[in-house]
Amino acid sequence: MQGVLGAFPHVDTTLGAIEELKKARLGNVTVFSPTIRHEIDDAIDGPNSVVRRFTLVGALLGVTFGYWVSIWTGDYWPLVTGGKAIASWIPYTIIGFEMMVLVGCLATVAGMFINARIPRLTTTVGYDPRFSSGHFGIFVACGEDKASQVEALLQKHGAEEVRREA
Amino acid sequence: MGTIAQPVDELRRPNIASADNQLPAVKDYEQVDREIISTLGFTKKWLIGLSVAVFAMLIGASAWIYQIYWGLGQAGYEPPVMWGVYIITFVFWVGIGHAGTLISAILYLFRAGFRTSIYRAAEAMTVFAVMTAGLFPIIHIGRPWKFFWLIPYPNWRLLWPNFKSPLVWDVFAISTYLTISTTFLYIGLIPDFAVLRDRETNPMRKRIYGILSLGWRNSDREWRHFAKAYLFLAAFSTPLVLSVHSVVSFDFAMALVPGWHASIFPPYFVAGAIFSGFAMVWTIVIPMRKWFRLEHYITLNHLDATAKVVLFTSLVVGCAYMIEFFIAWYSGVRPEQEFFWNRVFGQWWWAAWIMLLCNMALPMSLWSQKLRRNPTWLWFLSIFINIGMWYERFVIVVPSLSHEFSPWQWGSYAPSWVDMSFLVGSFGWFFMWFLLFVKQMPVMAIMELKEIVVPRRKHAAVEGAHH
Amino acid sequence: MSTEAGSGVKRRDFLKILGATGATTAVVGCSSEKVGKLIPYVTSPDNTVAGVSQFYATTCKECATGCGVLAEVRDGRPIKLEGNPDHPVNRGAICATGMAALQGLYNPDRYRQPMLREGAELTPVTWDRALEVLGQRLGEVKSRGGAANAVFMNAHETGSFPGLLDQWLSANGMPAHLSVDTMAPAATIATNRAAYGAAWPAIDFNAASLILSFSADFLDAWGHRVPQQLGWADARAKLEGAPRLVYIGARRSLTGLNADQWIPARPGSEMAICRAILGQATAAEAATAADVDEGTITALIAAVGAAGSGVLALCGMTTPDAVECGTMVADINKQNGSVGTTIKPAEAHAGYEGLSSYLELVEATERMNAGSVPVAFVRNVNPAYSMPASVGFAEAFAKVGFKVSFSIMPDETSLLCDLILPDHHWLESWGDAVTVAGQRSFQQPVLEPVFDTRSVADVLIGSARADGAIAASFPQSDYRSWMVSGFAGGSDAFATALTQASVSGSVAASRATRTAPSRPSPAPALGAGEGNMFVFVYPSATLGDGSGANKPWLQELPDPVTKIAWQSWVEIHPITAKQMGVKEGDHLTVTTAAGEISAPAYPYMGVRPDTVAVALGQGHTAYGRFAIGVGVNAYTVLPSAWDSAGNLALVSTRGNVTRGVEHSALVTTEGSARQHGRGIAQAMMAAAISAPEVEEHHHDIPGHVSQEFLPGLKSPVAADAQGEFANPQSKDKGMYNPEHPTRAESRRWAMTVDLARCTGCSACVTACYSENNIPTVGARYQGRALSPVTWDERPGANIIKGREMAWIRLERYYEGNTNTENEFSPDFETRFVPMMCQHCGNAPCEPVCPVYATYHSPDGLNVQVYNRCVGTRYCSNNCPYKVRYYNWFGYGEPERKQYAWPEPMHWLLNPDVTVRGKGVMEKCTFCVQRIREGENRARSEERELRADEFTTACAQACPSRAIVFGDAADENWSVAKLAYDRRAYHVFEELNTYTAVVYLKKVNHPAPAASATA
Repeated sequence: MQGVLGAFPHVDTTLGAIEELKKARLGNVTVFSPTIRHEIDDAIDGPNSVVRRFTLVGALLGVTFGYWVSIWTGDYWPLVTGGKAIASWIPYTIIGFEMMVLVGCLATVAGMFINARIPRLTTTVGYDPRFSSGHFGIFVACGEDKASQVEALLQKHGAEEVRREA
Repeated sequence: MGTIAQPVDELRRPNIASADNQLPAVKDYEQVDREIISTLGFTKKWLIGLSVAVFAMLIGASAWIYQIYWGLGQAGYEPPVMWGVYIITFVFWVGIGHAGTLISAILYLFRAGFRTSIYRAAEAMTVFAVMTAGLFPIIHIGRPWKFFWLIPYPNWRLLWPNFKSPLVWDVFAISTYLTISTTFLYIGLIPDFAVLRDRETNPMRKRIYGILSLGWRNSDREWRHFAKAYLFLAAFSTPLVLSVHSVVSFDFAMALVPGWHASIFPPYFVAGAIFSGFAMVWTIVIPMRKWFRLEHYITLNHLDATAKVVLFTSLVVGCAYMIEFFIAWYSGVRPEQEFFWNRVFGQWWWAAWIMLLCNMALPMSLWSQKLRRNPTWLWFLSIFINIGMWYERFVIVVPSLSHEFSPWQWGSYAPSWVDMSFLVGSFGWFFMWFLLFVKQMPVMAIMELKEIVVPRRKHAAVEGAHH
Repeated sequence: MSTEAGSGVKRRDFLKILGATGATTAVVGCSSEKVGKLIPYVTSPDNTVAGVSQFYATTCKECATGCGVLAEVRDGRPIKLEGNPDHPVNRGAICATGMAALQGLYNPDRYRQPMLREGAELTPVTWDRALEVLGQRLGEVKSRGGAANAVFMNAHETGSFPGLLDQWLSANGMPAHLSVDTMAPAATIATNRAAYGAAWPAIDFNAASLILSFSADFLDAWGHRVPQQLGWADARAKLEGAPRLVYIGARRSLTGLNADQWIPARPGSEMAICRAILGQATAAEAATAADVDEGTITALIAAVGAAGSGVLALCGMTTPDAVECGTMVADINKQNGSVGTTIKPAEAHAGYEGLSSYLELVEATERMNAGSVPVAFVRNVNPAYSMPASVGFAEAFAKVGFKVSFSIMPDETSLLCDLILPDHHWLESWGDAVTVAGQRSFQQPVLEPVFDTRSVADVLIGSARADGAIAASFPQSDYRSWMVSGFAGGSDAFATALTQASVSGSVAASRATRTAPSRPSPAPALGAGEGNMFVFVYPSATLGDGSGANKPWLQELPDPVTKIAWQSWVEIHPITAKQMGVKEGDHLTVTTAAGEISAPAYPYMGVRPDTVAVALGQGHTAYGRFAIGVGVNAYTVLPSAWDSAGNLALVSTRGNVTRGVEHSALVTTEGSARQHGRGIAQAMMAAAISAPEVEEHHHDIPGHVSQEFLPGLKSPVAADAQGEFANPQSKDKGMYNPEHPTRAESRRWAMTVDLARCTGCSACVTACYSENNIPTVGARYQGRALSPVTWDERPGANIIKGREMAWIRLERYYEGNTNTENEFSPDFETRFVPMMCQHCGNAPCEPVCPVYATYHSPDGLNVQVYNRCVGTRYCSNNCPYKVRYYNWFGYGEPERKQYAWPEPMHWLLNPDVTVRGKGVMEKCTFCVQRIREGENRARSEERELRADEFTTACAQACPSRAIVFGDAADENWSVAKLAYDRRAYHVFEELNTYTAVVYLKKVNHPAPAASATA
């Protein structure tokens, strides 16, 4: 993926750059930050995560399976224990609950992986190790034509280093 | 994450938790990386500790081979006491396994800032404690090579476990809990692995960290989904933590044994679990902050806050003890009453009083702020609490079984050298894993620490403008 | 278990065939040498269907009673002994000792072949060599003319063999043999002969209204246990009209615990009480002599007078004045005119005819000691163990020129012998016994000999025929033909007779009558002599005089009174124990003029404070791996004193009792002997039975639960734990599919236990061990590791750890006398409760099992699936009755240290029942294998089950007929009526377990001689 990468030592300058890039519409902006900064979230103002849908579906599947497996197996070998009903749903609620949590959580993780596009095999393009330490980064995906414009903008906002990625 | 990561807004009255979450001694992101990464890497002391742990673990392992060959008769079981040290130790470790997820999930939802610097260690402790606990039901059964019969796996005879049995609930609760807490731990570790990957010079280790980090790039998209997923995991783990020890308590509460058959058990067990969990956190974290020189990350404020949790849970547990006695008296059921008398003033008085001393009396010292902020005292107290909580389970399991309905079958119990080998072995097993952990992975969540560290700014802007 | 009471006719025909071919069945068996792989028969031997049992009628030789037993033989090996329902003596009942005979038969330590002493060692030799040596040594003896001084000590028995033996002895110019039975109540027999003209008159409990027992332990080991217990239980089952029992003696035995009143007379003072009853002395004198309350004696005299001919006075004392006292006791019967009503000399039992006295044995010993005995024979008699040490039998025996043993076990005596010619076990031999009223009971071999042994009778006949001088007098080639020859009707009639339980007719050869010597006893008058306590020695109810000590079933069976197994103990009253500062298990050293023993103390409120009681039976130095090194031998402290009939006096001396230094945990199965008001063993007064329900106040009866329930089985059908099935309005039709192919839910297997009949004898326990392959866990080698290198070698180590496996146990609860440590009172009540799996309708053990290893069957059984069990032991924790037992070790694995059936003992395993593996739970199954076999038999014969067609092993054995098993949903079964008896109750009913076992309350009677002052 082609584009321009800028590394910022300060958070406020990064924010400025983001704001202007959004106005300038020079290409898709990816922001790297060592940790979650809500100012950056707000600046980017991206769409809400859809992970919660995975969670919901997983949880529903789980609880259904929990009840089903305990009732069906009990019914398959109808062995009476302690004079209790074969399908006694109250104790089976525990199974249902545990399965809900289990499948729900795993679905959530799956959702996160799918949406966040991980695991990914390479980090090289448009990434710099500094971003995991102290620096903030902005990557603008754009063609050669807009590259110089972007560079200028990033430099103006005090990028420590600006480089073209190919 | 969430808004707890915000520097304190002086317009809001700081709640206790977030008041503690300032790390004045930590200047910038790079310092965090430097200091946390410096805890990694082998040292002589560490190797000694590890070999001691492995040796203890081997004691337990050889005891297990011996016991499988001869039969459970080599343990101290003395009918009618059919459960003994193994179940006691099982409940003990499960209990300890509750602090981690409690800290990382529940305190996260409650936005208690003091969790930040201790939750990673606590979470790892949880995983290893549950790994230890999970062994004991297998050690304890008569035919361990058949333990998988408790798991509902498809087989050609379509034989399934009995889902009405609390032991099967255990299988579901414990295995779910182990899976989820492991996942939770790993998800939190991903960004930190990315940090290690980027700082690591040794190509081999760099590659391993690279794989573990799943190619994490700290991009805004990743952070967005990460935050949401983490929130839901926390939301699930919270009821899970409460359910797991409730289910464990059902092993007892669902039986009609006097001293077991009590509806107070679930809350009582959960409180006890948190109590013992925090104690174990102290046992581990207090030496760790000293040896790894992390006093400015785990500050006295943090310890103070945890001490308050311990004090509270101690009161809950003590209250539960009292209620048990009241109910026994109030029920008017003679076996119940005679049993409780026997528990405290009869053949088991010593165990009961060890329990009451360690779990009810000593923690009252935490009313004093001086002691709450005294790491040495907290560490010794944590040892007492660990002992006390082991004895709590002893007092629940053994005296109840030894003094049941049929007087003709009243008995006694004394653990054998085999039981004790397993107890030693379990600690060896636990600390072996934990020691291996602390030298491979950051004992504190780097990215979360960075959240509460004030980032570099070019122009000193007004803080806390957001939210 | 194909033939039980109920299908008698069928079994008769069956046995007719078998009896006729008894000899040929030998083909079927295989001896330990040949035993190897298990392969099916190519051509099956006659009458043998693999997997189907055959039943051989034979006669038990474990004691002089001569009960008829059915040996259940599977593929040529007896696997269980059961009472023969058609036998007049025991009517189908059998005692623990009888059932344990199998472990004598299959005992791994039996002599496996003849042995000859070469130098110091006994070395195996061939039979030819052994017989050659015998003939040659006999020849030498006779040529030197020493034959007249020979001594033959034979285990006492009736029937043909003693005659043959004496014939052989006289043919060789030897004196008649000594017929030794140390268990026989010799003093009683002597007095019976004098007073009634019969050694053992029939005792009719049913005709009695008041029974006086002067230490006559007719429920323990005194006399003919099984018939006595049957009579007693039947009489007590009359409830209101039942005879009442007063027990007079220094120690409250099992019989004493079953008594309505105990008068703890000082040892040796019984005569004073007799005098008072006979009016020869005042109550006051008797009271002072006996150290009891005068009012009691007065009341006793009155009660005896009132009872008239309903009095049944029995004397079983073993004091030096036992004969004199016994005579006076007989006078009480005569005075009340009860001879002929309660005591029936006409129907005397011949079991004790021809018994030799102890004094004869002493004189023989003296002759040996004088060196005048050239040759001595011993057969299954063990004087080296069972005579007081002061007699010095072993030393004397050593001076005998040539010593021959026909014993089957290497016991203390036979190990001293020069030549061992091991006899067959009685289950391997032909024989007979004379029992009640001249009835002759036959004995046939039920398997080919396990080892290379030979019937002593055949050996004797053989040796005689080898000796030209006397060969002529022995025309028959072997013992069987010898018996046939003497049998009226010859061989066919004999074969027919074998199939019947017994026939009337006299024994072939009448035996030489012998004049018993008499000589004043060296014993001082009881009560005199130094020592602070009376030493009360008594024969063990389980081990007898020690002959049972080699059988793990009997070692494992807790003593009915003290509940101690695999151990010796000294009974001492709690008061005395407290004064001496002795706690349970502290060793007591008992020192008499004769010797000294040290054993752990068992505080027992059933013994006088001035008396200590010790049981015989333990302390063997030989006699096999199960007997050696267990407990101490009480004969050591016995002085060699005898009564005027020359019988050993067991209670003859005082001794010094001091506290020893050691402490050893008691090998007891007893937890708490008090019920703590939990209503496990409930009782009601006899008067309340006919009284209207409302007048019964449970709270007045100590040990009764506070909750009150209506009597009767709570869940009439198995499918209905909630008891609503019977209610047509109820929508709850139970949980079982009525179309179930087995139609099982129409049945409700249930059991009733009548506590008014149960005496606590514990025969049911051994029956269960035998039927269900329950491992014994108490042997020295079965303990656990105390460290990686040391093992717990104490006998009963596992039982100390509470790991006994008895599926059915006898719980023994006391009522009253809560302050035993400070005051001595004879007035306490004992209740025995057989406790086994209650097969609850709402079984707490079932839902907690994670793998369905235990569940409820449609016909009401609580099923345990051994293969599925993973051993979480949760079921046992949740069982309120604590009747589930766990395999802590691989008791069934031959390669394990703890193996419970060392070769060839595993031959007695029941092939119908799994031997449970290490790490699984087990429990009473209601003998499910018998249920299914009965159902299958009915199905194959295309009929419904007949009522009471079969029963469980415990019920089958029970000599009190207290246990009844069957289908409670079918009113034709007797259990269906009993389950709704006025006295019926469930244990722990308040737990809503809806058990299938119904107990019938014990019935208490007011003390017959209740003191007016007390």
